[in-house]
Amino acid sequence: MLKIDKLIYNYKNENEYNFSLDAKRGEIVGITGASGNGKSTLLDLIAGFLKPTSGTITFDGKYLGDLPPEKRPITILFQNYNLFEHLSVKRNILLGINDSSQKSDLQKVRQILEEVGLKGFEDKKALTLSGGQQQRVALARSLLRDKPILLLDEPFSGLDFDTRDNMLQLVQNITKTKDICTLMVTHEIDDCRKIATKSYEVKNGKLTLL
Amino acid sequence: MLKEYWRFKGSLIPGLFVSFALLTLAVLLFLTLFGATDANTTIFGALNQRVIGLLKFTLFQATLSTLFSALLGTLLAWSLAHQPRFFSRSLLIALFSSSLVLPTIIVVFGLITILGRNGWLNHLSNYLFHHSFEGFLYGLSGILIAHTYLNASFAARGLLHSFESIPKERYKLAKSLGFSTFKRFVVIEFPAIKSTLFSISSTIFLLCFTSFAIVLILGGNPSYNTLEVAIYEAVKLDFDISFALELAFVQLSISVIFVIFSSSLKTSVSNIKIQESIIPWRDAFGVRVLQKITIFISGLFFILPLVAIFHDGITADFTRIFKSVVFMKSFSTSIIIASISSVITVFFTLFLANSKRNFALHYRIPKSGIGKLLAFLISFSGTLYLAIPSLVLGLGFFLLSQRFLAPANFWATFALLSANILMSLPFSLSVLYPSILKTAKRYDKLCFSLGISGYERWKYCEWPYLKESIGYVLALSFCLSLGDLGVISLFGNQDFSTLPWYLYGLMGSYKNSDASGVALILLVLVLSVFIFVPKLFKGDRFVKN
Repeated sequence: MLKIDKLIYNYKNENEYNFSLDAKRGEIVGITGASGNGKSTLLDLIAGFLKPTSGTITFDGKYLGDLPPEKRPITILFQNYNLFEHLSVKRNILLGINDSSQKSDLQKVRQILEEVGLKGFEDKKALTLSGGQQQRVALARSLLRDKPILLLDEPFSGLDFDTRDNMLQLVQNITKTKDICTLMVTHEIDDCRKIATKSYEVKNGKLTLL
Repeated sequence: MLKEYWRFKGSLIPGLFVSFALLTLAVLLFLTLFGATDANTTIFGALNQRVIGLLKFTLFQATLSTLFSALLGTLLAWSLAHQPRFFSRSLLIALFSSSLVLPTIIVVFGLITILGRNGWLNHLSNYLFHHSFEGFLYGLSGILIAHTYLNASFAARGLLHSFESIPKERYKLAKSLGFSTFKRFVVIEFPAIKSTLFSISSTIFLLCFTSFAIVLILGGNPSYNTLEVAIYEAVKLDFDISFALELAFVQLSISVIFVIFSSSLKTSVSNIKIQESIIPWRDAFGVRVLQKITIFISGLFFILPLVAIFHDGITADFTRIFKSVVFMKSFSTSIIIASISSVITVFFTLFLANSKRNFALHYRIPKSGIGKLLAFLISFSGTLYLAIPSLVLGLGFFLLSQRFLAPANFWATFALLSANILMSLPFSLSVLYPSILKTAKRYDKLCFSLGISGYERWKYCEWPYLKESIGYVLALSFCLSLGDLGVISLFGNQDFSTLPWYLYGLMGSYKNSDASGVALILLVLVLSVFIFVPKLFKGDRFVKN
């Protein structure tokens, strides 16, 4: 279980954020709220991009606060720049695991691409893909990294309705089948209604259960 | 806090090392210069009647040059922004961009060919009106013309980008409110270009304040001497080192004050590609005519001296030129020194920029007093050249060479390399730093979360996005180095010379035909490198910058 306990962060001594929440494996926690209220700050704190002033983050009882981002049991999907456009889909995915091109890894890439509905896309350049396809590739990489926490920082906000629905469905399936813990930041309350097990609203730097 | 510094040690240490090495060099030269001056010398003590006269003229010509360059540059950029489509617009803009790297001696040579006593203008005037202009190119007017030539085009190039970055909606608003052209400029355009204009003007002022070759050749007589030229004359002609030191002391003190004053302003050199103009409708007829006339006259003013160099140079006896041992030595010295210094400049710039960005991104290293100090030191070491003019730098090395004997030409080579690197760093940093910061802002979180670092990060994340800028910086620093006439003027001799110094010698001994040929060789070399080297580093078509 991911447990965030009184996580406090002061930004330029002006805004104070104070977050507490917990999320079980197999659960999708939706986090919504107006822009600038601290939704992405919460994910940055969990991922280790920002250092909290005080408070704890634990996963399955293990304290994560001291670990750098790459050592945390976390994988993230951002709104933009999830992929290096000049690299192939295959290379982008392998970057998340290691930089080898061993047969077993390539087999895994093919398999995971099939899971996200992109069979045969491994040699295409990322730039040639549509927005939805790019996010699927990023999601495929997240899955292959096999981390128990998936953070989604408004990754589907630029997508059309159908693609967005498909992606949400995919996230829901993955969370259940892989038994991972997903935190989804979105400004669309509908997204939370569709797939979240529970939802929080961020207001003035604090979380309120909806 | 140490933990964060340690986490980014790979990017911090090389930059800090380069920064401290540059600052140590500056301190060493400073101690050498002022160790040699009278212990009681202060800036006020050094300001005797003669020095005050030199200082007054230096400031006067720099102020006027900056004013003319900024006015013409703004008018030209405004005209170009409002004239989005005309034949050879992009070629003209590319030529304006090259003004930064044109060797000053080439510019002077071209201007003399057009505006000199035997220049094209006088021939035309004689033919049409039986009247000739006598010697207006020598003295203050010549200095101002040459400075405006070099800097107005530099200003126009930088300001054009600012004009074209104004959101289209602002123009729509101005149109809907019925603004006149003047009111539109005052309310919408000037506020948008103001900061760029001030930063460019401060750079131009510093460049003119420390200008050497133009004043040396076009100054004409001692009443038009600047501090830089007076230092040169004190060392090379009068052998009066103590007077040179007094001048260096004044020059250095004032330059440092200007650099500190202008350090809040950005150095405005950019390799950002010019977009098609965004202004969607045409101005009134009279305004359009004014814009077209401005572009035509400025274009002519800029292109004619270059055309003159081609026209006169092409008839030179190149067999004789290439057979000259001194020419070949100068040529090879120039190429070797420019190549080495441009490669070192690129590495130094990358190290400094990579270190500096750690302090600009709060999620990398949180803001602190030490962080601010280190960031300032890195920035300052990259702009040292603006604080230490090349003649002062050269004088420092000259004194070191007197004190510590070394193999022949060691000090000259070392001084030239150091000066060229320091000269290029402010410009190369202003090109590479924004790109390197942008890449970090885009991909830091992804790289951190995926654990991509070191060589892997460089290969996949940095190089593809930086290589175009690196190519530009390489060409820029090569050309700046190739055209410099500052430090070499103190060290140049029969055995050790560069192309600009060789050309200066030919001009001084009135070997005009050979001088035309060498000027053409230098011009072709600079333009070829500046145009073609960046093409070798052309970006991957899949990379979105």
